[in-house]
Amino acid sequence: MRDLTGFVETRQQLLTLKPNHRMNWIGFAVAHHLNSNALKAVEILEAYEGTLEDDFPPDNERCEHGEMLLYKISLLEESGSLERALDELHKKELKIVDKLAYKEQEVSLLVKLGRFEEGATLYKALLAMNPDNYRYYEGLQKCVGLYSENSQYSSDQIELLDKLYKSLRQQYNWSSAVKRIPLDFLQGDKFREAADNYIRPLLTKGVPSLFSDLSPLYDHPGKADILEQLILALEHSIRTTGRYPGREDKEPPSTLMWALFLLAQHYDRRGQYDLSLSKIDEAIEHTPTVIDLYSAKSRILKHAGDLAAAAALADEARCMDLADRYINSECVKRMLQADQVPLGEKTAVLFTKDGDQHNNLHDMQCMWYELASGESYFRQGDLGRALKKFLSVEKHYADITEDQFDFHSYCLRKMTLRTYVEMLKFQDRLHSHSYFHKAAVGAIRCYIRLHDSPSKLTAEEDDDISKLPPSQKKKLRQKQRKAEARAKKEAEGKNEESSASNVSKTGKRTVKPVDPDPHGEKLLQVEDPLAEATRYLKLLQKNSPDSVETHFLSFEVNVRRQKVLLAFQAVKQLLRLNAEHPDTHRCLIKFFHKVDSMAAPVTDTEKLIWSVLEAERPAISQLHEKSLKEANKVFLEKHQASLMHRAAVAELLYALQPEKKPEAVKLIEESTNNPVATNGALGPVKEWKLKDCITVHKLLETVLDQNAALRWKERCAEYFPFSTYFGGRLSSAVANSAYNQSKNPENGSADHSQSSPTVDPLAPNGKLEAFKDLTIRP
Amino acid sequence: MVCIRKATIDDLLAMQACNLFCLPENYQMKYYLYHILSWPQLLYVAEDYNGRIVGYVLAKMEEESNECHGHITSLAVLRTHRKLGLATKLMSAAQNAMEQVFGAEYVSLHVRKSNRAAFNLYTETLGYKIHDVEAKYYADGEDAYDMRKELKGKKSHGHGHGGHGHGHGQGHGHHHHHHHEHGGGCCSGEAKGVTAKADSK
Repeated sequence: MRDLTGFVETRQQLLTLKPNHRMNWIGFAVAHHLNSNALKAVEILEAYEGTLEDDFPPDNERCEHGEMLLYKISLLEESGSLERALDELHKKELKIVDKLAYKEQEVSLLVKLGRFEEGATLYKALLAMNPDNYRYYEGLQKCVGLYSENSQYSSDQIELLDKLYKSLRQQYNWSSAVKRIPLDFLQGDKFREAADNYIRPLLTKGVPSLFSDLSPLYDHPGKADILEQLILALEHSIRTTGRYPGREDKEPPSTLMWALFLLAQHYDRRGQYDLSLSKIDEAIEHTPTVIDLYSAKSRILKHAGDLAAAAALADEARCMDLADRYINSECVKRMLQADQVPLGEKTAVLFTKDGDQHNNLHDMQCMWYELASGESYFRQGDLGRALKKFLSVEKHYADITEDQFDFHSYCLRKMTLRTYVEMLKFQDRLHSHSYFHKAAVGAIRCYIRLHDSPSKLTAEEDDDISKLPPSQKKKLRQKQRKAEARAKKEAEGKNEESSASNVSKTGKRTVKPVDPDPHGEKLLQVEDPLAEATRYLKLLQKNSPDSVETHFLSFEVNVRRQKVLLAFQAVKQLLRLNAEHPDTHRCLIKFFHKVDSMAAPVTDTEKLIWSVLEAERPAISQLHEKSLKEANKVFLEKHQASLMHRAAVAELLYALQPEKKPEAVKLIEESTNNPVATNGALGPVKEWKLKDCITVHKLLETVLDQNAALRWKERCAEYFPFSTYFGGRLSSAVANSAYNQSKNPENGSADHSQSSPTVDPLAPNGKLEAFKDLTIRP
Repeated sequence: MVCIRKATIDDLLAMQACNLFCLPENYQMKYYLYHILSWPQLLYVAEDYNGRIVGYVLAKMEEESNECHGHITSLAVLRTHRKLGLATKLMSAAQNAMEQVFGAEYVSLHVRKSNRAAFNLYTETLGYKIHDVEAKYYADGEDAYDMRKELKGKKSHGHGHGGHGHGHGQGHGHHHHHHHEHGGGCCSGEAKGVTAKADSK
């Protein structure tokens, strides 16, 4: 609720009533702190301290007293009384039990006071205690003046940093941080040398997360190319001589496999999926028992666009270690991405507690699963179930918000005040967390779709029912309702039976609430979907105000609600955040097109809105002295080379001038897929991304021209041979594809695929057929 | 490679997600809040270079029994991030804090009988011993080893002692009795002993 002034008053009353309760002093102090009066809080704490005996505290309260002191000092820090805070810290050193916190607080104050030399010494002491804490290295760099927010350093600075880390390395030889951090600031040959020394021992040891550790480096210009040369050189050397370049000792056989594994992930990152797959296949052939290889291959296939094959492979990996929940979770994730929801559910519940297994995932607040299912249902058009999932996530956040209540008095007793105040701040920004953001976005999208096509319950139902004459429709709906009521009654009966038997078995009643709306149908029957959507929208606007997605959704919702000014506000925010984004342009033009086609204002409100728009329009540079058509042309000229920008222009061209449809289509079809710029993270690949091409295909199919859509599909199948969406020749969607042939090496590929033309690539095999003829390569 | 640091409140949702992804023993968010709001010094996370939480340790101090001891509620590291010694580092950090801040005398934990990898980690790398077997401890009916590790913990006593585990906070909490079993010499009541301990690794 956060009625902070009220809180202060209440706490004061409590203190006056019961001044011998420590908790009331502390509570009063905290109240002032939260009410932005940190110094007053300090006063109260010192008054409290004054009431204590000299040899306070007794042994069993030392920890709590120490925490209180640290809290007081943090209040002084917060209010800028840094010298006083440091003094107090030093004075009370013996009473502060948590030595680590003491040092961390001390170093923070020293740095703020500009006492960098002392700060550096203290950071070194902290590093001696924990050389794996990156924050300490960062702090040390700041103290010696060698820290840059965006990691841009001059060559002099780089030399100094290099020296620094070389000396740190002598002290903390075993710490991986000392070796990894330099890779960030080193360049060119020095980078290559350091990377080489970093990678070799990790390959020998077989550290599966090596690539993920190196991956941020790919965004530094030029480093991806250097790493490629480096890793290829290592691979070649091990393959031909069994040793690293320039070394005497032989590497164990596994090193080659880990090198291939690294290379596969490298090519995956660079967008070269064919190379990536060939490397991972080689690794699998080398040692087929290593689960990480299958997980990696699954990931590569997912990036390349073959979600079904990715899921099948993830399932194969899962079956290699049925006791490990991590691989199970990864497998479920892939299944949900491939829209195999029932299978995903079945697989997930293998690790839930018995009872109502599926509910357990909800009880345990398993949000990644709920979001992934929700998004899959949405893709499949099952809005009811999708909404149900997104709303479950919202419920978890509501529960977490409630969780804080018990802790208000608990923390005052336990004295964990710093953490308590952090917790309050955490609660205040709880809804900016990414899981909630995704749930809100998902729910809004569902409600928008629901508004646009209200009779859709599930995709198939709609098709069947819409074909019937109205009288039959009514009869069918009545029948459905009766069947549902019957099913519900049966479920309740079963529940009563089982709970009755539970009573006899355990002697206590285990009541399991019946879910009255298991498929989310009630959610679909909501009166005003856009009003529901607005609820979520407000939370998004409050918590994620700098996200383009927030305002794009705001535009879509408010246009449908006919809220002109709110829609305009969204357009303005989009212009502020990213004026050149194709979605921004789309919203801008669509908005004014709609406004231009509206009737002249009649009511006072309408006139007011009109005048606001008239005043604002000239301020928009994109529309300055141009018609909408011209603005569209200008935007195209600015972004000729970008597929997504061209697609936006084409869509708008058709919207503004429907007779120009062929021209719009031509605009899209004439887009060229150019090679990407060099020196970046990506290898020699073309620019277009799979996701974007799918969006363009949908645009062609639903809005513009079916034939063009077909042509587009064929064209993209060439660019994305692994994509199931486009039916690429290497994807599992194509029956006789090379992928399916390579899945059955022992049986002789040609015969197998000939005899069963309807080979089902989606069947999760779970059988270890491939291991029948297992040999381990020397 | 991977940063080992104290967990903050903002890490809790990620810790919960990591736990749900890796282990069948799960907890609601309130339990995580309870841990961090009671013993903030004992929660550690492993954060990778991309800012993702790839491991965590959730620990507490046991309040019921007479002896002051720590307990590992939950420990997990993503399968993709093994072979980096993360579990050892997380455990060591928590154990050290238990000893230094709360004066714990030993640490306890439960592990599945069939979990060879974890068992080896605890016994061979970290020095735990089997204390007991708890039949059907886990929800799926599997037995657990109740394991313990003695800490160096018998430091100097008297006024200079570091804090014990919490009583119930109103100034009249439990009486923890001290174990004066070691030979003399260190019972000088000097506070120095405590600070010296913290500086050693």
